[in-house]
Amino acid sequence: MRNALCTLLLALSALSVAAQERVTLIRNATVLTITNGVIENGSVLIRGSKIAAVGRDLAAPAGARVIDGTGKFVMPGIIDSHSHTGVDGSVNEISLPNTGMVRIADVLTNEDISAYRQLAGGTTTALVLHGSANAIGGQSQIVKWKWGRPVSEWIVAGAPRTIKFALGENPKSANFRPPEGTPRQYPATRMGVEEVIRRSFIDARDYRASWDEYEARRKRGEAAIPPRKDLLMDTMSDILAGNIDVHAHCYRSDEMIMLLRVADEMGFKVRELQHVLEGYKVAQEIAAHGAGAGTFIDWWGYKAEAYDATPYNVALLMRGNVLTSVNSDSDELARHLNHDAAKAMKYGGLTEEEALRLCTINPARQLRLDQRIGSIEPGKDADLAIWNGHPLSSYARVDTTFIEGEIYFDRQQDLAQREANRREKEERLKKEADEAAAKKKDAKKGEKDA
Amino acid sequence: MTHRRLGAVLLFLLAATAGADAPGVYAITGGTLHPVSGPAISNGTLVIRQGLVEAVGANVSIPPDAAIIDVKGSHVYPGLIDAHTSLGFTAPKSGDKAAEPAPDTLAIRGVKVSEDDADARRATGVTTIVTAPSSGIFNGQSVMLNLGAGAVEANAIRSPAALQVAFNPRPSWTYPDSLMGVIAFLRQNFLDAQQHAAARDLYERSPAGLRRPQDNPALEALRPVLRRELPVVFIADSAEMMRRAQALARELNVRYVLSGARQGYAMAGELKDVPVLVSVKWPAAPADKDDREDQPLRVIRERQLMPTTPAVLARNGVAFALVSGAGKTGDFLPGIRKAVENGLSADDALRATTLAPARIFGVDRQLGSLERGKIANVVVSDKPLFEKEAKVTRVFVDGREVRLPKDEKKSDVAASADGSPIDGTWALTVRAPQGSVSIQVTLTAEGGQLTGTFSGDRGSGDIRGGTVDGNAFAFTITANAEGAESTDWAFRGTLSGDTMSGTVSTTLGSFEFSGSKSK
Repeated sequence: MRNALCTLLLALSALSVAAQERVTLIRNATVLTITNGVIENGSVLIRGSKIAAVGRDLAAPAGARVIDGTGKFVMPGIIDSHSHTGVDGSVNEISLPNTGMVRIADVLTNEDISAYRQLAGGTTTALVLHGSANAIGGQSQIVKWKWGRPVSEWIVAGAPRTIKFALGENPKSANFRPPEGTPRQYPATRMGVEEVIRRSFIDARDYRASWDEYEARRKRGEAAIPPRKDLLMDTMSDILAGNIDVHAHCYRSDEMIMLLRVADEMGFKVRELQHVLEGYKVAQEIAAHGAGAGTFIDWWGYKAEAYDATPYNVALLMRGNVLTSVNSDSDELARHLNHDAAKAMKYGGLTEEEALRLCTINPARQLRLDQRIGSIEPGKDADLAIWNGHPLSSYARVDTTFIEGEIYFDRQQDLAQREANRREKEERLKKEADEAAAKKKDAKKGEKDA
Repeated sequence: MTHRRLGAVLLFLLAATAGADAPGVYAITGGTLHPVSGPAISNGTLVIRQGLVEAVGANVSIPPDAAIIDVKGSHVYPGLIDAHTSLGFTAPKSGDKAAEPAPDTLAIRGVKVSEDDADARRATGVTTIVTAPSSGIFNGQSVMLNLGAGAVEANAIRSPAALQVAFNPRPSWTYPDSLMGVIAFLRQNFLDAQQHAAARDLYERSPAGLRRPQDNPALEALRPVLRRELPVVFIADSAEMMRRAQALARELNVRYVLSGARQGYAMAGELKDVPVLVSVKWPAAPADKDDREDQPLRVIRERQLMPTTPAVLARNGVAFALVSGAGKTGDFLPGIRKAVENGLSADDALRATTLAPARIFGVDRQLGSLERGKIANVVVSDKPLFEKEAKVTRVFVDGREVRLPKDEKKSDVAASADGSPIDGTWALTVRAPQGSVSIQVTLTAEGGQLTGTFSGDRGSGDIRGGTVDGNAFAFTITANAEGAESTDWAFRGTLSGDTMSGTVSTTLGSFEFSGSKSK
């Protein structure tokens, strides 16, 4: 009886949610669809979490929230394929050369204010990566910055699993020194980094073989003790099976070639080379492997392996048929990736649309989420931002940011909230000051009594 | 070795006292009885015989062989249960890997409660504790212990009480040295325990043709947890940390309890199915006005909302107990009072320190209320226990009256009396190659453990893995630099009056730091 009642209530609440599915129409704006050109005086209709229609003269359905976009620009939410925002504790499990068993998804936190600041810059989706302290780092996580919601809702359900690899100085501990008394960790050279990666996959093959042997014995009806289930080896096996995408931190072209060769030898694909400052030297090889490149437009020179760089890297990679994006690796840069995209027009002559693709549909493809995000098309997630100017202008600011049809940043609301926050802080501080004064008085009274 | 010998001497002394004072027959009369299991009884009588409650009520006839204790005008309670402490354990020196507890570490074998510590606790109305080491990831299996005279075995109420797990990363370069590593480490340990159990069972049924599985006491110790017989106490304070612990517990299919839980106010609706031990060590506002004003609203708001957690949990029907957790002995009653000031009823506060923890640990048939047949742990106070001026005047454990600290004044201010010279707020300067970094830390020492918070140029948060031994101390913070990956900074230094100095180990190398105490 009680169960039946519960079921009924659930059904009713599901109905009412469907009935109340919010409809929003943004009209009279310049819509930068990315995949279908620019629509002047265009409209975007959002129904629930999805984009329902994009066009010139869309009528507002009854009850729709209508937003006037006159003089404004609508662009898809920016996608950052290299972030470390929203991680509780260290982003590096530093202790081993291969820490593929650890998962960023386990330690996301919704209290990192940087997530909100990124919404204010029109960024809605990010790949949150493990750090670069080891050749094979932890499993990364694709999230949307749903500020104010529990992290379980930040995780993009059904998104591909990903893992961080790192090459060069960091995994060979050139930039990470153990405390005194702790022995230096293997590997200490680029040769060692390569060996760690190759060895890990050879171990994974052996691991698979031990499970295959066990399954075979069981099938034959023989008694057998199951092998140890090893979370690290499970990860490595899943990479070999194509179930986990590899995103590899790298700077020098020789180490990029090394990784692509090891991948070919071991039988896995590198999905995206990250940072990839010398990518312009080996664009052909990167394209031949099918790897993407996520890079910075003009950020280099901060360590020895990051010197031979050029702002033309993006254009040269793109002209070499490499799927290229600009990404942040930084809480600060993640707030204005549109600027980095714009700079690619100056350095290498990209068109406006090519530039915008660098932080929208291209990273969406690198994350294999281009069926859901990265452009303004009917059926895609309603992740978009309304800008008060063209987003490739450094004067443009975001007015409103939507994720799946919900507003997660609104400049007017933010401004209004500041006064309320100021007052709340004042009241709370006064409460503490009063309590401290009362306590002092109590203590004095106690002394007198004694 | 010397430690062990000292413990043996102590146990011998305790045992000697016990023999001299066997539990007798007492009638405690004239006071207001608070049985917890029922409404308060004014001018009631409580009869204790041979360590158990014999009778409780308004019209109880006093047995002729009873010694009458008149407590007219006072209040009589079941002894309080502090269901999460590390009393009787000292934190190992940092870097001492051999000392880290494991799943098969039994608290009952290592616990050494000094008489002074027991006295101080009892003066706060606590007669029963749950205790385990606070170091390591697996803290070991806790023990529920009466604070009575006699050997540990005689005072044990339940051992093991629970497997205690803390999300404590190990020092850098020792797996796991990150929070995500700790979670992966736990996941793997439980998988290994499952595999170990399956392999042993298979081998014991029919060993012929099978390779003998290795013996492994640590994994064997996880078996009762896998069978859901022994609960796991996960130490988790923030809402996100509690959600992580819940997700892990569900994934591992273990019975569990959350401890810490100070941000429970933000997620009470998610705690209906799990017992919660709320630590009443509430965060304090910085003493300095400028420091308070520099803090973001979020931090101030959180600090003020935390003490509302018990009231919010009570309103939402969550099963919870109030515990001292990482707090000091003297913080317990003031912490409970603060929860009451923030909306918790005195009745709910009493339940949360008696019957509720008894239920959470499955001992409510013998403990937690004044009822016939239950263990006679009784506390008498001159005023209602959770009122500010209340003083505990008499304490009975297992029906035996135990002494209270002689200097009442001293016990009342136990919080400040057992202060260590490192207690307080320190302004530290780290001399890093790219310039000096200012960090403020607020530290509290108890039993060799150092707890506290930090704030400044590299973000803010709780310190971790803090230890203090004489003038030597160590602790770790998670430092955040704008636009860079967060990393652990391990401080190790020495104290010299109002100054301290030492080295910080970071991923970028070791730097010197120095600091002075803020007034």
